[in-house]
Amino acid sequence: MADLTSQGTAGKTPDTTDAHEAALLAYARKKKLSPFLYLPVAWLVFVILLAVFAPWLGLWPADEIDWVALRVPPGANEAHPLGTDHLGRDMLSRLIYGARVSLTVGFAAPAIGVGFGMVLGMAAGYWRGWIDEVVGIAIDSWLAIPGLVILLLFALVFGGSLFMVCFSLGLLFIPTAARITRAATMKFANREFVLAARALGASDLRILVREILPNVIWPLIAFILIDIPIAIVIEGALSFLGLSVKAPTPSWGGIIAEGREYLETAPWISLIPTAVMFTTVLSFNLVGDAIRRRMADVRESQV
Amino acid sequence: MGEIVLDVVNQRTAFATGRGMLTAVSGVSLSLERGKTLGLVGESGSGKSVLARSIMGLLPRAAVTGPGSRVLLNGRELTRLSERELRPIRGAEMSVVFQDPMTSLNPTLTIGKQLTETLRFHKRLSKAGARQRAVELLRSVGLPQPEIRVDQYPHQLSGGMRQRAAIAIAICCDPDLLIADEPTTALDVTVQAEILDLLQRMVREHNMAMILITHDMGVVAGRCDDVAVMYAGRIVEQGPVREIFHRTRMPYTAALLSSIPRISDPAHRRLDAIGGRPPDLIDPPPGCAFAPRCKHVSDRCHRVRPEPVTEAGHMYACHYPLGMKEPA
Amino acid sequence: MRYLLRRVQRLAIVLAAVTLVTFLLVNVLPGDVAYEMAGINSSEEEVQEIREDLGLNRPVLVRYWDWVTGVFTGDWGQSFVNKEDVWETIVHRFPVSFELMLLAQLMALAMAVPAGMICAFRPDSTADKIIGGIAFASVSMPSFMSGILLIYFFSLNLGWLPATGYEPLSEGLWANLKPMLLPALSLALVEWTILMRTLRAEMISVLQEDYISLARAKGMSNFRILLGHALRPSSFTMLTILGLQVARLLGGTVIIEQIFGIPGIGRLLIHAVFTRDYIVIQGCVTFFALVFVAANFLVDVAYAWLDPRVRNERLSHG
Repeated sequence: MADLTSQGTAGKTPDTTDAHEAALLAYARKKKLSPFLYLPVAWLVFVILLAVFAPWLGLWPADEIDWVALRVPPGANEAHPLGTDHLGRDMLSRLIYGARVSLTVGFAAPAIGVGFGMVLGMAAGYWRGWIDEVVGIAIDSWLAIPGLVILLLFALVFGGSLFMVCFSLGLLFIPTAARITRAATMKFANREFVLAARALGASDLRILVREILPNVIWPLIAFILIDIPIAIVIEGALSFLGLSVKAPTPSWGGIIAEGREYLETAPWISLIPTAVMFTTVLSFNLVGDAIRRRMADVRESQV
Repeated sequence: MGEIVLDVVNQRTAFATGRGMLTAVSGVSLSLERGKTLGLVGESGSGKSVLARSIMGLLPRAAVTGPGSRVLLNGRELTRLSERELRPIRGAEMSVVFQDPMTSLNPTLTIGKQLTETLRFHKRLSKAGARQRAVELLRSVGLPQPEIRVDQYPHQLSGGMRQRAAIAIAICCDPDLLIADEPTTALDVTVQAEILDLLQRMVREHNMAMILITHDMGVVAGRCDDVAVMYAGRIVEQGPVREIFHRTRMPYTAALLSSIPRISDPAHRRLDAIGGRPPDLIDPPPGCAFAPRCKHVSDRCHRVRPEPVTEAGHMYACHYPLGMKEPA
Repeated sequence: MRYLLRRVQRLAIVLAAVTLVTFLLVNVLPGDVAYEMAGINSSEEEVQEIREDLGLNRPVLVRYWDWVTGVFTGDWGQSFVNKEDVWETIVHRFPVSFELMLLAQLMALAMAVPAGMICAFRPDSTADKIIGGIAFASVSMPSFMSGILLIYFFSLNLGWLPATGYEPLSEGLWANLKPMLLPALSLALVEWTILMRTLRAEMISVLQEDYISLARAKGMSNFRILLGHALRPSSFTMLTILGLQVARLLGGTVIIEQIFGIPGIGRLLIHAVFTRDYIVIQGCVTFFALVFVAANFLVDVAYAWLDPRVRNERLSHG
């Protein structure tokens, strides 16, 4: 197809097919995923595998103190390839166990937020009326409270279990998820296939689950993708402040915070987790962005 | 013969698109004398606005100009000039009035600011001098209370007044060439004639050459010296207004002429619109571009593109011109 | 006038919601402040006594009402821990946080506006791609991480700027600014990307407008077109974001003040959280909400300054 058109133009006006034109054309046609994308995907797979199989990797226990190896720099001691922290705990082990916390929160918090938000948004968008009204007010008030305040208070009130961290972080994602779902639901609620299902006597619940849900789920998945790195970053900030999972459970933000005191004498304690967390968040951002663009392209080509 | 202001030679303008090269203007030549007005007529998508932008050098970056294309203003070739070299020419020697004054005036700057910056750049006027000149210009285009209007924003003016302001901006540096791109299309019917009259007056007073772009043959009638009809990126018929109106050769021109609304027509009468749509400019058919919509079409029209023929200053490109017994 | 009323109304609802929710949350804290104040070896009677002293044995809503009426008369309560007046503490500490936020926002703008303009001028050019890449990296680096890195490089390795501390303005402008630069920069490094992307997107569409073509047709230079003609109409969304960012910046200061040892409200809040000094928490949160609302009001004002259409509407309305 592409060859035909370019030949067509070239054939008729041979004097104008120059390199500049060819370059412009090539540019206009280009819609490929960047090969750079393999790197972040590979890194994410690597980190996820390490986190999942952490207990079987033969690592030092993450909170075991090696009294004879305090603040060992990376590469100096074979037993601790990434060195040890100020308490002689194995950095590699702490990083991998920390990844479990970060990744769990990264996946669970947006999923929890989207789960609640989806139910609220679908109810508001499908039934409208007073339900819509109430959900709208709730969302607006929720958004008016600074997210950090919610997190601080939840951390205080409900303590630092991993579940509560996921849950309170998830709450932050509810308003936007609900808004997205509501808009999508309203768009589909009056489509022919929904009206047809209703005419056939399908119950509201059945219509919501069978007809509307499959349509609203895609923008929400895109939303989750964007929120994974955000959740990881917020968890990092919380554990940096000491308000996430309780010590001695390792978490990336927590290790960075602990290493702050030793930045001059043992900088790797902070810098290694910083590098790891940065790479992970960047990878999630890159992959999420690529998938989002791809989905936008698909939607565009369907129109 | 008057002094030639503008000479366009074999202008070709194409755009790179995802589907291929779109040739919006293919091989247009025309020249224009000082004091004359050329009506450039065609449907939307015929390439007339792209031609205007090609002359001004205001094309988007995805555009490609043909290697043999030349635009000469006052004898100087513009095509090879850099953006920097073009700047002192744009606005000073040639300028433009766009279709919709709502979108062509910056909503966040006052009318005066938009006028004076041009004056100050090209004429090197002082701040006070530019402002004084701006007021005079606004008065000369018939804007009431110019001293007040000069400090107002575009949205505070009516559509017609906005277009007057836009005209003032266009003529502020006494250009030799003015391109008016559908200057009345976005306006109220009641003010259309006023704006056209104003443009005509400006051409006379400033001794400019003007290209008046329109899709309405009726606009051309009393106001232009020459007409060029564009279709699918080419000029298909060109000549003095009287000649074109009385001895129409090209069936497309005839169709445009018959779609002029007449005062005697009942309101909202469906115009004698031409059926069909202009051809795809990315992969155009080999023959006459108008053939699929032409009432007088023959097999030859589909196969061979008619070469332009000129007789007594009247150019047309048609195998079977109207009002002639034998095919050309 | 009606517009103004509606805004005030909304402001009141937001503030009421924020304060009520925090009040309720803080008051279901397990192990209340009375225990902490009484000490570990105290008896139940002693704790009860302290509770009565502080008025903690009354119903939550009654206490909330007391507190709200107090706020209106300037009585924000006293810290349970050190008995300091909450309002005075906040007023004393806010300028520090404010300076930090202002500096951060200025730095973010100083990075975002030129970068966004360069990107929008030639989308998909090499410069656009490089800046886009930097922005991507920048947004993947939360402020607590960039803060650590900045301290490591600029304070510990190069020794250019102090790692922690705060100097009041009375010590001189540079002395005051010096320890603020790194913390402000680490906040700005996150915020600038959002501003840059917003400006880029809006400016790309503005540059397609006829009035930009006209400016080119008038012979204006690219620089002048970008700065004089395109920037203003391209900044509306960026400005809204700027207002919304105040909420994020407030959150950011909490962490940044902790890292760099800056005695602002963020540190006050964290300290209060760890000591369960709920009246101080309450005050800080309320103050945050006030700042947030005020910032967005200022954005509205700036809108009017940028867009003459809005300006005139406002004038004719009230």
